[in-house]
Amino acid sequence: MEHQPYRLAEEFDRFLGDPDDPGEVFSHARCVELDDKEEFPADICRRFQEWGLPEQYVPVEYGGRLRDYEQVLQLVRAVARRDLTCAIGHGKTYLGGVCVWVAGSAEQGARLGAEIMAGVPVSLGLTERAHGSDLLAGDVRTDDKAADTEGHWLVSGEKWLINNATRGSVLALLTRTRPDGGPRGFSVLLVDKRELDEDTYRHLPKIRTHGIRGADISGIAFDGARVPRGALVGAEGAGLEIVLKALQLTRTMCAALSLGAADHGLRLGLDFAEERELYGRRLIDLPQARQVLAGAAADVLLHEAVALVAARAVQTQTAELGVTSAVTKYLLPTGTDQVLADLTGLLGARAFLKGVYAGGRFQKVARDHRIVGLFDGNTLVNLNSLVNQFRSLARGFRRGTGDTAGADAACDLTAPLPPLDPARLTLVTRHGSGVMAGLAASVDEITRRAEQNPVIGPVAAAARRLLDVTTAVHAEMEEYQGVLTEVPPAAFEVARRYTLCWAGAACLGLWTHSTDHFGDDPGTGELWRDGRWLHTALDRLLVRLGEPAAAGEETYEELLGALRAARSSGRLFSLLPQRLPERQPVRTGAAAVESERTSC
Amino acid sequence: MPVPTTGHTTESLTTWLAERIALYLKRQPAEIDPDVPLAEYGLDSVAALSLCGDIEDDFDLVIEPTAAWDYPTVHALAGHLVEELAAEAAKDGGA
Repeated sequence: MEHQPYRLAEEFDRFLGDPDDPGEVFSHARCVELDDKEEFPADICRRFQEWGLPEQYVPVEYGGRLRDYEQVLQLVRAVARRDLTCAIGHGKTYLGGVCVWVAGSAEQGARLGAEIMAGVPVSLGLTERAHGSDLLAGDVRTDDKAADTEGHWLVSGEKWLINNATRGSVLALLTRTRPDGGPRGFSVLLVDKRELDEDTYRHLPKIRTHGIRGADISGIAFDGARVPRGALVGAEGAGLEIVLKALQLTRTMCAALSLGAADHGLRLGLDFAEERELYGRRLIDLPQARQVLAGAAADVLLHEAVALVAARAVQTQTAELGVTSAVTKYLLPTGTDQVLADLTGLLGARAFLKGVYAGGRFQKVARDHRIVGLFDGNTLVNLNSLVNQFRSLARGFRRGTGDTAGADAACDLTAPLPPLDPARLTLVTRHGSGVMAGLAASVDEITRRAEQNPVIGPVAAAARRLLDVTTAVHAEMEEYQGVLTEVPPAAFEVARRYTLCWAGAACLGLWTHSTDHFGDDPGTGELWRDGRWLHTALDRLLVRLGEPAAAGEETYEELLGALRAARSSGRLFSLLPQRLPERQPVRTGAAAVESERTSC
Repeated sequence: MPVPTTGHTTESLTTWLAERIALYLKRQPAEIDPDVPLAEYGLDSVAALSLCGDIEDDFDLVIEPTAAWDYPTVHALAGHLVEELAAEAAKDGGA
């Protein structure tokens, strides 16, 4: 069955051309070169503009094409698969706009939407040098004592480590508008640098970075900049609330960056194993190499499943996005860093060298991806946010409450998505997680299917074990449910386990609700049939939860076969079909013939 | 079991809130001065949002998570809850 978000991503990818062709604007060779020179990929971003990518960042109500977040996920993933600097440097404009989509007026939304679609870069100014993730300590402020505050805010202070602070023309700025206002002392101002007196602001130098070296990570300092009163987004004093809601959206969408990086890394690892030959044996024929590749492949599909459910849940269970986004923003970056670390073991020195294998792209993607776990709410911030919600999550699980209908719709890929209603975003998930509350029903469903089809038996057994562990994890959460200050390390560990259980519940939900629609595809159908991708996903999660393995070598061998078949037939290795614009690798020998045959 | 929504006073709610916040902060309820902002006890702004879940659970009253930002002391929050409970009771009575 066709799935629209993948179709459009495929079309976009085709427009961008074959990345292996150095003559293309958005080629691998060009990205490596720009990274070496630490240059912003401006020419590549113009290609995105030509295709209309910025329209996908603007909600339809403001004149753009953003209707389903699942679509943005796949488009940004396609960019990230080639280069994270481009994905982050360009996708940042979405981040800059999102406060307005969440809380701005219709007029503000329409005006900003038009700017974004015209190619104006927009940025989001949150962090400051002295305060890191502590937004409430921000010093960028308005000065109410100045003479002409009637028509303007007078903004002073410095934002630092801001993506596109220099390139961006418009900046959504978290500003302290009331010195003693506590969490109500902040407002979001949509500052248009083009309207400011040039003497009242300056850019801070580009910061040199370990990864995404071409990105514009810099800062901006204001000194009495006159910002019109109309720049206020939402209510005065609502800034922190707006930003925390906006971050729920952006943290979920960060999954696209991790998915793309993993697609790229897995491709490089597979190609290397297929091509590398020592002493008459190819790397791909060695059991250790096969195990690493199959494990990475299992993780890639697991992450894709979680991201699919999470991106759909943005619209189907918006009120639980505080949990969904924290789980996703923790799990995908850390899980993808691990995939890249595992593949590093496979590539050996080639993972480290520049210019020896594949233009040094592997060391680049591994470096570039490191930022994803750091920005937009780091790993600990996300786990901490889950610990803060342990009380309601444990209570919800005990009672079986949460938005289960919304979770079901997120898991059924054929279900139409309702439009996003930003008013339903909330800082606290009140009644637990609908994804978790639906776990028991999914386990019943797969158990029922296993009675009809005994091949699924081991998958159903793994699902039952996941339910047991999930129940135990919620009991552990009850022990820490009073912990709201000075969170002990053990509570972070419980939160980590919670994210693994949530991921398992999402995978089971996705498989049980969607497998009947996707098992027939000639390419990706075999991943769905007999619960194959689900089997390895549950195995990976259970092992990380400290449980015995749930899938044997033969299951992983089948997955490896599917990975090789996808590569040799020009498909993305993914849960749903998508063709890639790359030319086919030319391979000799029996294995290549064999994998060609499997793809038919 | 939800506590019945009638008969709450600022005083009874002050006691309830002080107990709950003491639990969060691992302190004795007597240590919580109802007129001192909760932030000064180390209850950060994000943690304070969790109060709404307990309030809903014990009083069957849905309040904005940010109520603790708008009413930053135990006294202020108790006053807000009394008003909200009264409004809720009036609505139920009229229905």
